[in-house]
Order: sequence, then structure tokens, then C-alpha cells
Amino acid sequence: MQNADHSRSGTSRQFCILHFAFCIQAAGSLSSLPAPVVRQFALWLSTTPPSVFIQEHNSWAIPAIQSIHIVGIALVMGSVLLINLRILGWAWADETLRQTTSRFGPWLTGSLWLLLATGILMVIGEPVRELVTFSFWLKMALVAVGAMVAAIFQRTLQRHERRWEDTLVHRRSIKALAILTFLIWACIIVLGRLIAYDHVWGSWSPSAGQ
Amino acid sequence: MDILSILDWLQRTSLAVQIRDSLFTFPLLESAHVIGLALVFGTITIVDLRLLGVASTHRSFQRLAADTLKWTWVAFALTALTGSLMFITNATVYFHNAYFRAKVVLLLLSAINVAVFELTVGRTVQRWDQAPSAPRLGRAIAAVSLLIWVAVIVTGRMIGFTTTRASLAEPTPVETNFEDLLGLPASGQAPPTQQSK
Repeated sequence: MQNADHSRSGTSRQFCILHFAFCIQAAGSLSSLPAPVVRQFALWLSTTPPSVFIQEHNSWAIPAIQSIHIVGIALVMGSVLLINLRILGWAWADETLRQTTSRFGPWLTGSLWLLLATGILMVIGEPVRELVTFSFWLKMALVAVGAMVAAIFQRTLQRHERRWEDTLVHRRSIKALAILTFLIWACIIVLGRLIAYDHVWGSWSPSAGQ
Repeated sequence: MDILSILDWLQRTSLAVQIRDSLFTFPLLESAHVIGLALVFGTITIVDLRLLGVASTHRSFQRLAADTLKWTWVAFALTALTGSLMFITNATVYFHNAYFRAKVVLLLLSAINVAVFELTVGRTVQRWDQAPSAPRLGRAIAAVSLLIWVAVIVTGRMIGFTTTRASLAEPTPVETNFEDLLGLPASGQAPPTQQSK
């Protein structure tokens, strides 16, 4: 994130009004937009007091929120890595699956809440930049999948603990699923970064043609 | 040969030019860098929290460290590689950036921190391996480690906010994007150049 970040250091109210005017002007040529409602919502959100507050303090607020978000990402990735390594039998092999997940599960869940909170703040602070992108929505879809997989896993492990410990954890399909889960979270990180570079998606990006 | 001419040579190598002029490479390098640093910080946190007596307190420290730190090194290799590749695209600019310099100093401090650990508490690990937390010095080193790595993340993020990407770059070829890679028909709408986002 380079020029993108750089350009944000200007005054924000001005930035906001400029953005608004820019979008009104662009609206005519954007009939092919997949979701003009989203853009309108983003524009409305950018005029609300919390958004204006973050915009007015963007020089420290945005990097601070993003840094906390990255710390949260690290805690999620560490937890997901170790749970998945345990399923693969490459780490924590002297502990039961249950012991490993009760060590990392709560950290995973807690970090996901932290990511949700900082993520919401980022959307409030820069609504158009976040919401009017292809990367953001694809990322949200994958987050839903990743969170669902984690929740289902924790639930079935609680209900069928013996079966998991004795047979399921040794199954090839489960090990493949562990690798897939890890890759989903890695893709979520990539898509998060691509929000700043949404033009790489070409016309799939709702901001294409501006 | 002084450092600046070396950096200038670096950013003129064909590798640096290719990364700069590609629409995808820099964003993907950044993404891989975030994946790597998330795994570095995530796994180091596991070890530091064990030292502090916060989590995994019932586990042998040595066993936990052996299980975890090898992945830290794999992730660190990825992070260092992608970081270096980003650095060479605009080496002279990063070299003069205060946050970049602070980050390098912090990385050196974390190396010193690890060395201090190995030379002190690490030598007596047999004595506290099963204890719920490390001796006082070990806990201090763990706390310092967590602080340093958070600071590394903050300074790293600030580099992106305080540098202008690739001052030497060619203008982005506007007709190149993801659809071209997939062989999809062009939409007729040219995506904005990198400068506009």
C-alpha cells in the first residue's frame, strides 16, 4: 500500500466532499455497477460522525487500527497453524486433539472478534475505499467460510470427541481439510491486502472505469 | 562503493524493474509478506506466552519451542524474502525512510533479545522446563520480544503510509489486469492506474 496510503494524509472533510462530488459525477457512467446501493451506503456512512472522526484523525487512526488488525491476523494465523499442524500430526503430537484445541480455540475466537471490531472501524473510517471493492466482498465470503469451518469443527469435536481422537484425525480427508482451511485463511489475507489494489480485478472491480 | 550506489544499482536490476512494472507482483509480495509476518508473530507469541506463564503452562517449554520455532523460521524466511524483493524496487527511498530504519533497528534488537535469552535463561532451561513460567529474566525477555514485534508491525505498516511506491516505475499498462490472465474478454473499461487508488 503505497500511493494509496500516501494520498490519504490530506484534510479529510475536504477529501470526503471531494469524494462525494466525484461519485455523483461518476454515477452516470456506472449503470453497470453491481451494487450502487453499496456505494450509496458507503457514501452515507462516510458522512456519519464516527466516520468523520476517524477521517479527521486518519494520520494516526488508520495506521493504528490497521496495526491492531494485523496483530489479530497474526494471532488467528498462529492458532489456525497449530491446530492444523496437530491434525496433520506435525506438532503438539504428544497432546490430544482436544487439549490442543482448548489451548488455541479461545485465542482463535477472541482474535476473530478483535478482527471484526478493527475491521468495522476500518470500514467506518474509509467506507468507499473498503466497501466499493471486489476484494472486500470476496474476502467477507471467505471469512464466513473460514469462521463456519472453525465453528463446526469445534462443535463436532465436542460432541464426538472419542471418534475424532481415535479415527477422524487420522483420516486423509480430514488432513486435506486442515490444509485447505489454512489456505482459506491465507487467501483471506491476500484479499485483505488487495482491497488497496482492487484495480487488479479489472471490470470485476466496482470502481473500474473511474 | 558507497551504500547509495549499491542501492541505486539494486533498484536498477532487471528483477527490480520487473516487480515495479508489474501490476500484480508488488501486491502479491505484500500479501505473502503479511502471511509470513502473521505466522512469525503468531508462533513467537505462543512461545512468549509460555515463557510468561500465560498459556500452555502445563507443557514442557523445550518441547513447545521445538514444535513451534521451526515454523517461525520457515515463515521468517518467507517474510525476509518478500521484504527484500519489495525493498529492491525502491531501495534508495526505503533507505531514507525513518520507519524503515526504525524497523531494521527493531529487528536487530529482537535478534539481540534472542541472543540474550540463549546466553542466560536458555542455558538453565532444564531447571524450569516444566515450571509454569520462566524465571524472571526469561519473562522479561518474553515481554520485550512481544513489544518489539508489535513495534515491528507498526513501523512496517507506517512504511507503506510514508513512501510513494516505485518512483522509478513505468506507468502501469492500463489494459493489463486479472481478466487478461484468465483469458477473459476485455470489458472495454480501462482500470485506473496505480496512482489513482
